[in-house]
Amino acid sequence: MSGGSRPVLEVRDVSKSVNGPEGRLDILTNVAMQVNTGESFAIVGASGSGKTTLLGLLAGLDTPTQGSIQLDGHALEQLDEEARADLRRRLVGFVFQSFHLLPALTAEQNVMLPLELEGNPAARDKAREALEAVGLSARRKHYPAQLSGGEQQRVAIARAFVHGPRVLFADEPTGNLDRRTGRHVCDLLFALNRDHGTTLVLVTHDVQLAERCIRRVELEEGRLEPLA
Amino acid sequence: MKILLLALRSLRREWHLPELRTLAASLVLAVVALGVVATLAARMEHGVLASAAELIGGDLGISAPQSIPDTFATAGRERALAITRTAGFPSVAFAQQQSQLLDVLAADAAYPLRGTLLVRDARGRQIVSHAPAAGTVFLDHRALVALNRHIGDAVQVGGRDLRIAGELVQEPDGGELVAMAPRALMNLGDAEQAGLLGVGSRARHTLLLAGEPADVRSWRTWAQSTALPQGGELITPEQTQERMRSAFDRAGAFLRLTALLSALLSGVAIALASQRYARRKTSEVSLLRALGTSRGRVLGLLLGTLGGLALPAALLGIVLALALSQGAWMFASQLFAGVPTTLPILPSLAAAGMGIAVLVGFALPPLVRLADVPPVAVFRASLARRIRRFDALYLIPAVVALALIWNLSGSATLAGILAVSLLGVAVVAALLAALLLWVARRVAPGGHPALRLGMAALARRRGLSIVQATALSMGLTALLLLAVVAPALLDGWRRELPSDTPNWFVLNLQDDQRNDFKQALAHIGANQLNMMPLAVGKLTAINGQPIDRMTFKDERAKDWSDRQLRLSWAQDLPPSNTVIAGRWFAPNPSEPEVSVDTMWRDMYGLKLGDTMRFDVGEGQVDARVASFRRVDWSSFRVNFFLLMDPTHADALPHTWLASFYLPKGNAEALAGLSRNYPNLSLVDVDALLDRVREIVQRVTGAVRWVLGFSLLAGALVLAAALATSGQERRHEAALLRTLGARRGLLRVAAACEFALLGLIAGMTAALGATIGGWWLGRSVFHIKDFMPQAWPLALAALAAAIVVMLLGLAGTRKVTHTPPMRLLRAE
Repeated sequence: MSGGSRPVLEVRDVSKSVNGPEGRLDILTNVAMQVNTGESFAIVGASGSGKTTLLGLLAGLDTPTQGSIQLDGHALEQLDEEARADLRRRLVGFVFQSFHLLPALTAEQNVMLPLELEGNPAARDKAREALEAVGLSARRKHYPAQLSGGEQQRVAIARAFVHGPRVLFADEPTGNLDRRTGRHVCDLLFALNRDHGTTLVLVTHDVQLAERCIRRVELEEGRLEPLA
Repeated sequence: MKILLLALRSLRREWHLPELRTLAASLVLAVVALGVVATLAARMEHGVLASAAELIGGDLGISAPQSIPDTFATAGRERALAITRTAGFPSVAFAQQQSQLLDVLAADAAYPLRGTLLVRDARGRQIVSHAPAAGTVFLDHRALVALNRHIGDAVQVGGRDLRIAGELVQEPDGGELVAMAPRALMNLGDAEQAGLLGVGSRARHTLLLAGEPADVRSWRTWAQSTALPQGGELITPEQTQERMRSAFDRAGAFLRLTALLSALLSGVAIALASQRYARRKTSEVSLLRALGTSRGRVLGLLLGTLGGLALPAALLGIVLALALSQGAWMFASQLFAGVPTTLPILPSLAAAGMGIAVLVGFALPPLVRLADVPPVAVFRASLARRIRRFDALYLIPAVVALALIWNLSGSATLAGILAVSLLGVAVVAALLAALLLWVARRVAPGGHPALRLGMAALARRRGLSIVQATALSMGLTALLLLAVVAPALLDGWRRELPSDTPNWFVLNLQDDQRNDFKQALAHIGANQLNMMPLAVGKLTAINGQPIDRMTFKDERAKDWSDRQLRLSWAQDLPPSNTVIAGRWFAPNPSEPEVSVDTMWRDMYGLKLGDTMRFDVGEGQVDARVASFRRVDWSSFRVNFFLLMDPTHADALPHTWLASFYLPKGNAEALAGLSRNYPNLSLVDVDALLDRVREIVQRVTGAVRWVLGFSLLAGALVLAAALATSGQERRHEAALLRTLGARRGLLRVAAACEFALLGLIAGMTAALGATIGGWWLGRSVFHIKDFMPQAWPLALAALAAAIVVMLLGLAGTRKVTHTPPMRLLRAE
């Protein structure tokens, strides 16, 4: 645990179960962790270990079956979906493995989306700044299909940072990229994390990527194990 | 065979895909819409014809100046047809000191086979009746007045004393101007026994038949191939109602128009669904191509899948169409009481064929383009998009649409107007949508986030929005044309029969009686008097070739040349006539000239300059075709197929025909007047006008029924079209929810988006329906000065915006509930 900074994420005794065709299935069991403001935090684990489920719970996309998650002091399990959406809009940014850019929108329009949801009148200017920060000014009028995988992920990173979130969740951000491009994207992610003071929580099975984070935990069959 | 099996296996695996189900549903819908409309239209047309049959008193008949040979009745009985015999003749009736020339119809007990014979009895009750029993007679009101008799009194007809058993209120009537003076209906046996029908009598004998349509058709075919008795002619519903022909044409055009627009709406839905399917399949096809599958094989697989889907869907469509149209008919049939209710199968089969043509036509371009996906696209999906966007394949839906328009409109003019209107609507919709989106994009940044998001969603997907708005506009134009313009057109048509429409006709007026009669009419309050000379003759040759040795494609040509035809002449072109080729008669032409109606031109394949020979009285005249005229037959003026130049025609033996309007209530004064002119035949067309008004009412009701189904089909197609963007919207909603958008915000944004889309479509459609309606009214329905009213269209545009918004919200209701977690799971 890193001392000093205020925790932005606190997870207490969280479990998640679902009812499958063969009965109840425990995906997460008694998970507890704490992420402090500004730090980078990696959750690693094999496929099916429950990483994505945990990320969804941390970001307020889903609710735990049991336990409590505090995001910037808000108990997520006590909020309904609408309140959690408000919280996400104000506090959270996302980077996905498959980028999830809207294909009908240009790079600039994709980056404008979180600002438009806030009703920010300077959405366009801020989106251009964000694209410049990821080195894609020249590509702002391009559609996702006209961009390479690395470029698409850089647009996704610009979108994640453009509204200045407190926490950025990244789900296998290099999973669909080659090693070199992946490294560039990671450099960018960590640089923005550092420059903006944003907390970075990333889920990956890439050990090298995880090693770049200040802290790492491993999920094994739904249970959290600290990594050195 | 192997490919087909593979395709069917693929279809089974892919059946859960919403795209494929939408495609199947669209086809089912197309077949149902086409089938229901076509089946109902066929039945309505049948009903309309049956209405004409009511006016004849049977489905079909034969008339001749002598008794109809038994072979015709025997052939009818062999086909299980009901039969009745009648004879019409003039006869003078006597009652004490009064005498009156009557137009007598003698009929057997089976008369009428179709239609209603209404008689008022001594107690004033109206009862439905058949021909009177032996020893009795029915007289109409004018006959009772003229003879000063009451029900129950005796009257002498043909030397026989008959008791007046009732007053004729309504009888099936040929509707042509053959009716003479006051009417009497007597028993056929009485007429025969009185010697009224013997050799030398002036009776016109008629055999009427009625039964199942197939049996009637069979008898008609047989009769047409048989030598008719001397001077005999077939009586068919189509030719009997010359006056109502335009009314039936309009009704038919309307019903076909309704079917056509439903088909095109389905085409739009199929095009949208198949494009979505092609998008979905792109990665699979690129993989197949990468693994070494040839383009031809891929295409075979795709077409096999489409075929495997189309056949059962079309079958289901047929069954549903038949069931629905049977159900609908049970409610609608009251409009055509007495019409046989056989469910026609053929329209549904044809609808399935057309549905499959629509499916193939509209689904083929994206699927063929899909087969062109290069194998390298397996690495970069963007490469799949580099296929040519515009190629000859896009002509396929256009050709299918044109073929449908041509097939269903049955007229090159109507097809042309529809095709140009639809194309015009598409272009205007696209331009208007682009303009409104441009405005929205500039206005949106200052608005509420939801409004901005909705507008932005539209404005940023500019191309897609324009396509959507265009498709919706075309659909809505069709619906508005039908929903708002159609009833207005029908109302306009009804108004064409104003209350001062001439309601009396006079036949047999002699030259020397004209002036006196004119003054006498003015004295009793008649107005709108119009007199035309009338010569009766026969067409015997065209360009010197005897008519009975010529063959014509149009089967009516032979019927018409067998009949006595009426010739008239005028120095000036009569009102409700338009010369469309050649020139109207110059004063004193050197040789006889004739001006011919377009129906006759088409029937006999006439050209300007051809010579027509007419036998009139003892002589004959060869007239050169100088012009062709379009005649508005619904005008209720005295009109003629053939008009000659007065210089040469004046010498022909002729009488005069006059029409005038006499206010109701002055009929007794007219009866008095007619006693001074015993040679005149006065025809009261008020009854006929009432019948026309009633039939117009029925047809209007029928069209509204068919219209209801088209509206339903249109709304369903609209919903299917909106659903095609569902997958994309779900993904978008999940992402927006993940980024923190509230559900309410997404709903309001969707409402804004669809309302604007609906407003664009509604405005364009209102504009399109106004122009299209004006054009249709003018060019197809021949209603002068028809202009659709603005406010119902404006209301309809607003309603369209609300309906599209509600449909959009209903279609995207599940979208706003998409759990954001789905986005992470979709990795």
